[in-house]
Amino acid sequence: MMRIELENGHRPTLGQLVERIAGASVLLALSIYFMVGGLDLGLGNPFRPGTGAFPFFSGLVLLALAAAILFQDLQCTGITDRPDWVSFGAIVCALSVFALVTDRFGLLPATFLTVLTASAPDRSLPWWGKVLLGLFMAVLGYVLFIEALGLPFKAFRGG
Amino acid sequence: MEIFANFSAGLLTVLQPQTLLYCFIGVFLGTFIGVLPGIGSMAAIAMILPLSFYLEPTVAIVMIAGVYYGAEYGGSIASILMNIPGTPSSSITCIDGYPMARQGRAGVALFITSIASFGGGIIGMVVMAVLSPGLAKLALQFGPAEYFSVIFLGLIAASAVSNGGALRGIAMVMAGLMLSTVGIDLTTGDLRFTLGVPELRDGVHLVIVAMGLFGVGELIASIKANQSGRGRQEIDYTKFYPNRREWRASFGPIWRGGLIGSFFGALPGTGQTVASAVGYAVEKKVSKNKDQFGKGAVEGVAVPESANNSATQTAFIPTLTLGVPGSASMAMVIGALMIHGITPGPRILTEHTELFWGLVASFLVGNIMLLVLNIPLIGMWVRLLQIPYKLMYPAIIVLICIGVYSLNNNVFDIWMTLLFGIAGYLMRLYRFEPAPLLIGFVLGPMMEEQLRRALLLSRGDAMVFLERPISGGLLTVSALILAYGLWTTLRNSRRTKTTQTHNKTSSNTGASS
Repeated sequence: MMRIELENGHRPTLGQLVERIAGASVLLALSIYFMVGGLDLGLGNPFRPGTGAFPFFSGLVLLALAAAILFQDLQCTGITDRPDWVSFGAIVCALSVFALVTDRFGLLPATFLTVLTASAPDRSLPWWGKVLLGLFMAVLGYVLFIEALGLPFKAFRGG
Repeated sequence: MEIFANFSAGLLTVLQPQTLLYCFIGVFLGTFIGVLPGIGSMAAIAMILPLSFYLEPTVAIVMIAGVYYGAEYGGSIASILMNIPGTPSSSITCIDGYPMARQGRAGVALFITSIASFGGGIIGMVVMAVLSPGLAKLALQFGPAEYFSVIFLGLIAASAVSNGGALRGIAMVMAGLMLSTVGIDLTTGDLRFTLGVPELRDGVHLVIVAMGLFGVGELIASIKANQSGRGRQEIDYTKFYPNRREWRASFGPIWRGGLIGSFFGALPGTGQTVASAVGYAVEKKVSKNKDQFGKGAVEGVAVPESANNSATQTAFIPTLTLGVPGSASMAMVIGALMIHGITPGPRILTEHTELFWGLVASFLVGNIMLLVLNIPLIGMWVRLLQIPYKLMYPAIIVLICIGVYSLNNNVFDIWMTLLFGIAGYLMRLYRFEPAPLLIGFVLGPMMEEQLRRALLLSRGDAMVFLERPISGGLLTVSALILAYGLWTTLRNSRRTKTTQTHNKTSSNTGASS
């Protein structure tokens, strides 16, 4: 029987186990989703494959691979590098801010706020530095994309 | 003679003011982005893709190619000055480039890099001009079964030798193939996996996948790396020009690197990193100056740079003549062509002569631009590297957002990019390479179409793929590559296990004593 243990010989905690199998589990879920969807769409026959045939068989291969990866990951450490959740959070928030602000207030406010959000966790840059960078990028975005390239963006919108 | 006539016509196309301008923009932006550590040519192309939609196909592809080889060149600057490879393929340049910088010969190393990149680029261009027409003629005999098999070979080659191991690489290709089925099925008109979201009817846009996986994913990963890993070296930039001995020592490696790079660039799945590594290994064997390798040998900078740049040019051979990209960057080139309504394949040489030969000629013009641009601008790139990354990454994230938003003026695309960005970052953490996913995503629709056609023509007989000689041969090669990839993965996993057991035993012995 396969024995699951850490490099130091201890049994992994639930958190460590979840961390190890998370990647392969997502692939397993994805493969099952596409296989079920493929079956619903119809597999057709070898002469005329149905709409669902390609995703179904791709899903089937992925299912087998994901199972093998799961087995492999159970025997070694899950993730190699420690995640940088601060940078991760800042970038996720920055993209979300851009998505939320652009349609309501226009490109310039969105650009300014995106820069502020992305640089927020960086303590080495003073607040006025972040504001200046945001203003610089907003002006650059306006000049480059709206004036020079003529892209159909609104610089400001009415909320 | 036909080649010269076609090349001259291509040169005339490139020398049009608009093409020339965008070639320059491509080369300049590519170098600019390539210089930034951690952001490679794939992210650079992803960022420039939305802009290319507004251009003529020839101009667009010339600009994208410029970004591609500009980024590969730019990557070597950070390698030499900071020991941080700007692109994966320039990691080999670090081995001798950085010691040269530490010895006060950074200027010479950068100068040799420019010359070697130029030399390699020209060799790659000649190989492309000579080989492509012949390969395209051969490919004209291909039927759906052969196309399916060549795409299959491309996917296997790109995934089986990926850094995360064959299993993970192939899994990513499969994920890419599945993702490519989202949207309307062009054969039947049925909707697939759209989750009822109208924006997904046309599928997921290539730019969104590329920007998310490479732009956002790489950016998150590079913030921490650049905060901790960037150190400033006291480097003497006064000595720029190589002496006579250094010129002589570089000449042979540039030729050898160029030829090695041309070979590996044209093979799907290998690319510039393998080309640079093999070039370096060969040079180390044949050089009279073996002892100096790793300590600042000028040959150790010339050969990987030449191999790298020549591979960059010849990577276009299978991409354009067969429609099979060997790397994620080339997959994006195919995507860009298809957005312009051009299907890469053997007919591209006859139906889009201007585009093909314009691109070949642009390699000459672009490499001259790189040379002219980079020798006087070495100081500027050095200063760019000294700009704190905390100022760079918010600016890059804004460019990504605007680039994606410009696709359809729809914020849904931003949310999708965010989703792929999160996926890209997590994939890195779990050692899944995003490149095979992107290749699978681009090749998926073509593969499905050729599979359907082949089965229709053979009346459902799947043996058609093995019975036709070219197709059968390609599938045999695929099987061999796959077997090699799986064997390597198994061997590496056994080694890791042995090391872990060994470490455990030693720690237990240490604890008991």
